[in-house]
Amino acid sequence: MKSRNWRIDRRTFLRGAAGALVPLPFINLMEGSADNGIRNLAGDTQPPVRFMTLFKPNGVHPPSWNINGGMENDFRMSPLMKPFAKHKEDLIILDNMGDFGFSSHSNSTRRFLSGHHNNRKSASVDQIIADKISAGTTHRSLELTTEGLFTNQIDCSYISYDKKGGRIPRESDPQLVFDRLFRNPLRDPNQRRHISSLLDRVSNDAKALQRIAGAEDQATLDEYFTAVRETEKRLEKMAPVSGSKGVDFSSLVRPESGVNLNEQVEAMLDVIAMALWTDSTRCISYMLGNSNSRMIFDFLGIKKQHHYLSHFFRNFSRSNIDSLLKISLWHMEKFDYLLSKLKSYKDHHGRLLDHCVVLYGSGMGHSDNHTAQRIPIVLAGKGGGQLKTGRYLRYSQNQELSRLHLSLLRMFGVESDSFANSSSPLPGLGGGSFDEYRERPFTSWVKSEQGKMTVQGRLRMSDNLDEAKVFYMDIKDKPPVRIEIGFGDFHGFNVAYHVGTPITLSGNSSERNGQLVITRITEIKSVFGNSKPGKAGG
Amino acid sequence: MRKCLGIIVLDFILVVAATAFEKDIRPILENTCLKCHGGEKVKGKVDFSGILNLEQAEEQLDLWEKVVDVLETGDMPPEDERQLTTGETRTILDWCHKELAKPIEAQPGIFQPRRLSAPEYRNTLRSLFGFDLKVSIATAEQTLSGEQSLVLKLLPIDPPGVSGFVNDTHGTKLSPILMDQYLHLSDAALEKLFSIKGRKQLSFLMGVQKSEAWKPYDITLEEANTLISNFISRALRRPIKAKMATQVSKSLERKIGEELLKAIKFEMKAILMSPAFLYRGLLMEGKPGIQQSVDSFELAERLSYFLWEDRPDDELTELASSGEISKPGIIAEQVSRMLLSPNSRSLAESFAVQWLGLANIDDMFKNDPGDRGHGMRTQPRDFLHYLFTEERPVMELIDSRVTFVNQSTSGFYGKDRQRLARFPKPQGVERQRTMNQRLELREAEGRGGILTMPSILIMNRGPILRGTWMLRRILGVELGEPPADVPPIKPSPRGQKLSFRERFAVHRENASCSRCHNKIDPLGFALDGYDNNGRYLLGEAQKKNLKTPIDTSGQLPGGETFEDFEELKAVFMTSQRENIVRNIVEQTLTYALCRELKRFDQSTVNTITKNLCRDNGTWKSLFTQIANSLPFRETFIQNAKHEESKLED
Repeated sequence: MKSRNWRIDRRTFLRGAAGALVPLPFINLMEGSADNGIRNLAGDTQPPVRFMTLFKPNGVHPPSWNINGGMENDFRMSPLMKPFAKHKEDLIILDNMGDFGFSSHSNSTRRFLSGHHNNRKSASVDQIIADKISAGTTHRSLELTTEGLFTNQIDCSYISYDKKGGRIPRESDPQLVFDRLFRNPLRDPNQRRHISSLLDRVSNDAKALQRIAGAEDQATLDEYFTAVRETEKRLEKMAPVSGSKGVDFSSLVRPESGVNLNEQVEAMLDVIAMALWTDSTRCISYMLGNSNSRMIFDFLGIKKQHHYLSHFFRNFSRSNIDSLLKISLWHMEKFDYLLSKLKSYKDHHGRLLDHCVVLYGSGMGHSDNHTAQRIPIVLAGKGGGQLKTGRYLRYSQNQELSRLHLSLLRMFGVESDSFANSSSPLPGLGGGSFDEYRERPFTSWVKSEQGKMTVQGRLRMSDNLDEAKVFYMDIKDKPPVRIEIGFGDFHGFNVAYHVGTPITLSGNSSERNGQLVITRITEIKSVFGNSKPGKAGG
Repeated sequence: MRKCLGIIVLDFILVVAATAFEKDIRPILENTCLKCHGGEKVKGKVDFSGILNLEQAEEQLDLWEKVVDVLETGDMPPEDERQLTTGETRTILDWCHKELAKPIEAQPGIFQPRRLSAPEYRNTLRSLFGFDLKVSIATAEQTLSGEQSLVLKLLPIDPPGVSGFVNDTHGTKLSPILMDQYLHLSDAALEKLFSIKGRKQLSFLMGVQKSEAWKPYDITLEEANTLISNFISRALRRPIKAKMATQVSKSLERKIGEELLKAIKFEMKAILMSPAFLYRGLLMEGKPGIQQSVDSFELAERLSYFLWEDRPDDELTELASSGEISKPGIIAEQVSRMLLSPNSRSLAESFAVQWLGLANIDDMFKNDPGDRGHGMRTQPRDFLHYLFTEERPVMELIDSRVTFVNQSTSGFYGKDRQRLARFPKPQGVERQRTMNQRLELREAEGRGGILTMPSILIMNRGPILRGTWMLRRILGVELGEPPADVPPIKPSPRGQKLSFRERFAVHRENASCSRCHNKIDPLGFALDGYDNNGRYLLGEAQKKNLKTPIDTSGQLPGGETFEDFEELKAVFMTSQRENIVRNIVEQTLTYALCRELKRFDQSTVNTITKNLCRDNGTWKSLFTQIANSLPFRETFIQNAKHEESKLED
């Protein structure tokens, strides 16, 4: 039974994913005609820049997330980034962001938009930006989420905080958000006409009842008619208003209620894109899940909780790693879904994404030991020309997130000298210079004879996370060497620990279709670091 | 059996009152009340001037009910007027109670249409559409998802009516806000019905199996007519009238494709917004001015909203169509069948939760989504559901050898917990809620029945809350509000160290306090063997750890004494049995009728109480007797005010 259920879920999931590719019928309607911008001195209009944040819970599995050995304009996206690799030219991937030390789930959640976990008495960055840019939009901002409240540590459920640092309630139902934005009868003349005629009809039907009714029925019906009349009166009073962009809201498709998490999230991302495109709001924060999330991704065929799996080191097994990576890939796919959506809408003379700043990421780095360094942070969109995208910025020194937040504030015109712990913005986002991380140089080579091989180079995971147990070593000017070993070697030599770093590896090898493969490891030496870090799970 | 109310003779058994009205009551009224009520003026439409003898007094029993009310609450006489002496108050109250207790013939209530309460509306939509309207929110272990029903999230919370239950919606107005939400919910339900997710139910209503690939705008006119007439009769809980059917099919005529679909949705939405759907009873057929049986569809509806909080299903509707449902034997069969349905859970979740105030437990554990909070919330509900549906005697509410525990609550049950099946824990799930298991109590000390259930003891902390809860909810004693000049409980006098119990003994020396505390305190202190966390302190093993002995003895106002709670429980099961059963009957009947009980309901209550006490009757028997009782099956429709002019239009 169970496996059958799973298959049904999986199928609906695929259908949901395929739906994303169908272009919406009204996408090109607004090109050139919309004049929702702000006139500059020369009389040209500038479209407003929107701010959107997408939060990924429970950190990442660093070996599959980190980019290693890349430079600003010359880098290879990591296996986990594969789902959104096609947007490379619209991204700035930030590295070496975070704090020193370790961090609880609730502290890391606070850090994501507040810059530092002790910044608890003031507004998060999205809220300050909303105050600045929301004038003229119907909705100041939207604070959205996927799951309920994690009550053990309540702050795990919030990224947006108000002026006093108080938690801002979130909404999770895409249909309710859609209706709030686009189906308010106050704003839609078609809706108002429909309701009027419905009320007429209903009153006529009810009048027929009145003829046979007794005294108590009359009282009931009087009460009913009063409510109908009051509703009619309210309808009359409403002046017709359309969205500030002049879009006919009745042409927007209301999302269906999802049957699983994937459909729920995609429906919400659809609504988010519509909200930004129609300029109903310019600031949205959305959590793909609570930090510490106990969500079970059954539609991916996974039966264990996300939080449990995210501790991939202490709960170590190959199938747990596979499950965790599947979940992480799903988060990355949703980021891709959002970016594709934002690109599909024309806005002013470009794509909607060009007039957005999208901040994607988490509040912690390593999901097992909760290190606060190398937190995954990606910016997307050109921010109206303020972001120079298509680059990888790995800073030489750890940068607190509050520096990034300060940069964002300045970008949106907030005159602020400092945010949380930082009083200088993060350099390099607009293309300016920054102090880039330099790796110590090392040489790479391969020597092999009679089924034995020694190879020096950088170890990395396979790009294809469906085969997460396969590794490669990159060698300059030569094809990479494939490492395909059993669990014993993987565990015994703690291969995962060395991922991303230069090592010298010796082992038994063979050649398959011209590809060098190492099938057993006899020794690993770290070129610069500790060769024996201890065993996984030890 | 139809009779004209006008000729019902109120068949008083004339007991010669020990207190003569003319001699004892009239003079007090003249001295104190008449000035404002019939003398110089008539305030609040209360006029005593025309009541000169017992006969005239007995014609106005409603007035004496009001008198009891204002005297007991202390609302009258006003503070700046002449006050009644304690003796005078007692005399009037005793006389009133005696008069009001005189039995009168059972009589049905006046027919009142009633708006569906929020949970009734939710369930009705669900069974009409075949799916639930839910808020999209991912559920996860240890995560509070809040209200998951879209209906309950959007509809304003119904306050309890005069009867104390939310299904008594007579007092709450239909506000424009409510109209907005009904409009929204109708849209949401219809949209889902015509989407792929509603395909199964749509096929069912159309009478034709349609695949997922089928597009609703391909609907034929014939299919549309079937769909609409099926939908209307199910929504309105009775067959569609010919006139309405013609009107509807006219509005669909000559339409195809999107236009037809639009017209269908419009018709369906008009039904969902019509008073006949939103209210119960507007379509019942009957004649104004006489007492009569409710029609068979109304009876089916009364039964299903009582036991299921939902519209009648197909079987009930068929029995209503054939008229079979009016037979008492058929009602008994249906009650048995309906209690076996999962829908009967509403008796525990709505009726019992409101009657016993169990929502307070949810409040206390609202930040504990884990196993303990889950166990505490569900234990009383599962227990009550078991009593209601498994033919258990009503008195097992007080004394039962069965309870329901999960891993966390099992700790309260000593060695008995060893007989539980293990609670399996899937790998990779850090902590989880465990389901309740049924547990036979053999060795657990101080447990059994609802009064000593941990969550009930935690919900009511301290002897005063516990005593009050038992009096009000279990024994059905009405306690007035505490008097306005209630003195605080005095601290121990200097140099003495009085216990809480001793300080309350001092408190009771004040006459205005003792009126209630004589009843509350003995019950409450009897539970002092249980601490605020619901733990039992007087078990064989626990007793040794006590620093000071705990006094759980007491004396009831009636004179009965007991040493500990077990003895008090024995009193409940014997001499207080009838009071408890009566309260159970009153509460259940009130819920079933969705209205406050009136004096003319007393004989129904008396009969059912007597039957249940005699037979050690079950909850099922109680439900059946109520469903076959006169107030449930009969009604009286009041004449319309301007009936003739209405008929002329």
